[in-house]
Amino acid sequence: MKISLNWLRDFIDCTLPAPELETLLRRAGLEVASIGGRGVSIDKVVVAEILESTQHPNADRLSVCKVNDGTAHPRQIVCGAKNYKVGDKVPLALPGAVLPGDFKIKPGKLRGVESEGMMCSAKELRLAEDAQGLLILPPASVPGTPLKELFPAETLLELEITPNRPDWLSHLGVAREIAAFTGAPLKKPSSRVKPQEGGTGVSPVNETGSAAQMSTDVANQPSAHTAGTVMPPSSVAVEQASHLLADPSDKTTFYTLRKISGIKVGPSPQWLADRLAAVGLRPINNVVDATNYILFELGQPLHAFDAAKISGSLRVRPATEGENFQALDGKTYQLPAGSLVIADGSGPAALAGVMGGESTGVTESTTEILLESAYFDPARVRRASRTLGLFSDSSYRFERGIDPEGVATASARAVELILELAGGTASETLQTAGELPPRHQVALRHARVRSLLGLEIPDSEIDTALTRVGLKNLGGSKWEIPGYRREITREADLIEEVARVVGIEKIPSRTAGTFSPGADADAAYDFAMELRRRLAGMGFHEARTGTLVPNAGTQDFGGSVELKNPFGDDQSRLRNSLVPGLLAAIRRNIDQGAKSIPLFEVGRIFTPAGEGERLAIAVTGERNTPDWRGEPARPWDIFDLLGAIKNLTGAETQPLANPPAPFGAAVEILLSGKKIGTAGQLHPGTTRELGATHPVLAAEFDLSAWRPLAPRNATTTPLAKFPGSARDIAFTAPLLLPYGEVRAAIASLNEPLLESIALFDLFTDPKGEKIPADKKSLAVSLVFRSPDRTLTAEEVQAATDRIKSHLRKNPALEFRG
Amino acid sequence: MEQQVDALRTEALALIASASDAASLEAARVKYLGKSGAITALSEGMRSVPKEERPAAGKLLNELRAAVTSAIESTQARLLEAADSSAVASLDLTLPGTFPAAGTLHPLTQLLDRAVRCFRRMGFAIADGPDIETEWHCFDALNTPPDHPARNEQDTFYLPDGRLLRSHTSSVQIRVMETTPPPVRIIAPGAAYRRDEVDATHLAQFTQMEGLYVAERVTLGDLKGTLEFFFRELFGSGTEIQFRPHFFPFTEPSYEIDIRAEALGGEWMELAGCGMVDPAVFEAICQKRGDRLYDPEKVSGFAFGFGLERLAMNLSRIPDIRMLVENDLRFLKQF
Repeated sequence: MKISLNWLRDFIDCTLPAPELETLLRRAGLEVASIGGRGVSIDKVVVAEILESTQHPNADRLSVCKVNDGTAHPRQIVCGAKNYKVGDKVPLALPGAVLPGDFKIKPGKLRGVESEGMMCSAKELRLAEDAQGLLILPPASVPGTPLKELFPAETLLELEITPNRPDWLSHLGVAREIAAFTGAPLKKPSSRVKPQEGGTGVSPVNETGSAAQMSTDVANQPSAHTAGTVMPPSSVAVEQASHLLADPSDKTTFYTLRKISGIKVGPSPQWLADRLAAVGLRPINNVVDATNYILFELGQPLHAFDAAKISGSLRVRPATEGENFQALDGKTYQLPAGSLVIADGSGPAALAGVMGGESTGVTESTTEILLESAYFDPARVRRASRTLGLFSDSSYRFERGIDPEGVATASARAVELILELAGGTASETLQTAGELPPRHQVALRHARVRSLLGLEIPDSEIDTALTRVGLKNLGGSKWEIPGYRREITREADLIEEVARVVGIEKIPSRTAGTFSPGADADAAYDFAMELRRRLAGMGFHEARTGTLVPNAGTQDFGGSVELKNPFGDDQSRLRNSLVPGLLAAIRRNIDQGAKSIPLFEVGRIFTPAGEGERLAIAVTGERNTPDWRGEPARPWDIFDLLGAIKNLTGAETQPLANPPAPFGAAVEILLSGKKIGTAGQLHPGTTRELGATHPVLAAEFDLSAWRPLAPRNATTTPLAKFPGSARDIAFTAPLLLPYGEVRAAIASLNEPLLESIALFDLFTDPKGEKIPADKKSLAVSLVFRSPDRTLTAEEVQAATDRIKSHLRKNPALEFRG
Repeated sequence: MEQQVDALRTEALALIASASDAASLEAARVKYLGKSGAITALSEGMRSVPKEERPAAGKLLNELRAAVTSAIESTQARLLEAADSSAVASLDLTLPGTFPAAGTLHPLTQLLDRAVRCFRRMGFAIADGPDIETEWHCFDALNTPPDHPARNEQDTFYLPDGRLLRSHTSSVQIRVMETTPPPVRIIAPGAAYRRDEVDATHLAQFTQMEGLYVAERVTLGDLKGTLEFFFRELFGSGTEIQFRPHFFPFTEPSYEIDIRAEALGGEWMELAGCGMVDPAVFEAICQKRGDRLYDPEKVSGFAFGFGLERLAMNLSRIPDIRMLVENDLRFLKQF
């Protein structure tokens, strides 16, 4: 919403510079998104009349003009534009003028011909974004007049208005707020409308009945308002007849019509066109412009019907089933059930509060209009507007709620303006249907204000604050709310007003509060954060991938949840695993040339059964960078991942006979015998798709399964007092015999003295030179220890021999030596 | 004998002194003190010394042995010292270190954790709620009108069953009050979703930190004190903080918080929304719970929420929000 400071000054003498006004408005809760300008503020640019124009002797595209700049002596200007004729009035920048872009005008020669200034386009004066040729000024412009006077510079505020304050959607509303916060009085708008001459017999309508007070009431709102009724204006009869039929079942609409006959539709005067342009509207014709003007001035949307095109009476009624309506935008809409229309005998003439109809709109040939000013139920307008996707400046205001008490006032002001601009005669009656909604009354406890704000504020200051924003004390705790603040319905709303007027900076900050017991969410947070830190310490980088994923990656991981209204196919589902996201990150990093890509993520996943917290690791590339020692690089392999998992979890891993996709080989991760995750090496096909040249390894853990199993309080075992004794055994085994089986066979003997079993060498020879290609050589270190004595060599040897002879039962194992 | 001893001493000490390494020193020791060394031979020659001269000769010989031994020991010490110092002197400390690189935590995680730690110092506990929410938790209970634009399918993601992806973490306020009697003092970090086109400043999914404190006699002053403390803890004591009246359906009065801090680039930035919990929210909770523990006449509270992405972007001068989800290692390694 744009606010023109010039326009604002019709209502309030506010001399604050724009930045200070911005501060004031922000304090009131009215955010200024930007401050802009319009018009000309450049000195030494004047109106000039082109007296003659001749071809430049040395340049085909240039002309040499003689112009009258308001002085006695014609001035010679060289000009490149073609869009003028002799006699036109154009802007002329005199020597010494500085145009936007720091462009200084100096006298000089252009292709050998003297030029004493520059004639300007609208673009060169920043009056338009884009403009070809000279700006041709109105013929009545007087040569020598500074352009500043023709296009007065003005400041525009772009306001961001929160949905709770529709009263700010007009110049009056913003002025009212400034008045509340500065104490400056609201004044009578400096109406350009002159009193009607020659007795058309119509005085502007207002609720106190006096034409002289009308403008004051626009600003201050009627104080003599009685809830639920319309005060009959003295000179304009309120009538419920001829053109308007009331629907007695409609309790939310207050509708008025005023007829104006004998008007002449034509262009608006410059001042009106300027004001509308300032707030971003294109002038259309004097009648439509007048209604738009009132919309931006008072916040009351108006609509003018061409009375000649209305057949019979107008009725405010709900749309009938499947009813069609051709709106002013030229499109035909099928009206949703329950939406409100203004209809004549032949069908809807307007969709209430949203848009007028094409067939009954004002055109150049209109001579008689019916001027609508009304209050509609905000929710009803909103539903109609949203259902149809049809939005207008009117619907924007109606759906937020306009001031019902301003309906008649705005109508009167519009009539005044239209009579001035388009002539004609206004009917002496304001036809109405429905009743004004009553004013709200809200009770306030002063003590409640103090206890909620934490501010020791006397009752009198609370009352003063509320009075300043236009609320009226009805005695005791009761407050009456004016029509322009209908959103105030509760005590909390009043307390907010007090806080706003007093200012939060007056409220002392307090640093205190109750203690909080840790919740399960705290434990979950700490557990996840601990894992993150440990993984980072182990060299993994934390990734964060999106929750919304394409369907493609989810299928490997079971059921997933689909969105009803995704933004695109690549974000149509909720992830059911962190792995696909990490693989996408791996692909991205491969594309970027990363050599080693160790990633992890902690995050939420979604399945049809619910949400879960997961940790995933994905890694590929080189495990170490070759350094100056000459140690060669080697790729990350599955055993690095298994080792990392052991570090992280202390868990056992169990190979899976049928690895789930996308794994080619995988293990289950078991803690205390319960599954907490899966890890493995991706299927070579998937690896190729990622563009990876090394194995891609991944693991995923279910944190809610893992966390309860993770040891919280470590317990210790006694430290060994006696030395251990190590024996190595070496043997060959079939290539495909898992080491785990050998280890299990050793462990199954339950040798009481055997403390640990550790593989320390594994050798294969695909060429079959040192050992057969279908064999592998294994070397295992066995450590024996007793808690209460030093072992003898004999005991150790005997135990080792028992192990070896047990292993020998498998004929495929061959011991060396 | 005496001359012989003198000559031997001179010769031995000279040789020992000239030893340049452990091997030549050992050779010298063997030459004089070894089984067939000169001093050993001389000792054996004592048998031929007349009995009366033996004590004097023995003394001479012992002195010789002691002198040579001592010379060997001191030379040994000197050589060891020289070898030790040359052993460390040869280290080229300009060579690059080779410990495997550590990993990193995502910048959002780091910022989030700083914020969490700060709120925990103030006595807040963590709370959590689902990303997939009911419309009631996300909107109705938060006093959002039925036809509020935020509920629109243009702006909010829905599931076919009518549930939605929470458009703010404020739904956790409702989850907590539903299940926990007052007082509650919680923060809830988590994801929120808006149906936005992704560009340099927008993601469809973003991270928020929600806060709620409900107890007897919680005031606007508590809200102010808490958030001022928090932002100054996080961004420095010189941080400027402004509360600007605003509108949210679920708080009243409501404020937006603008802050300016050197750490955030020194420009004012709109950072957070906050306010006193709207009585309508408490009433919705009472109705759901079927008790009056959250009767707005008995308790009051404040709530706040802010997004972490823009904060992280300002803190770390990140030019494009998408960098936070692209997981490019060249980016991640900078944290």
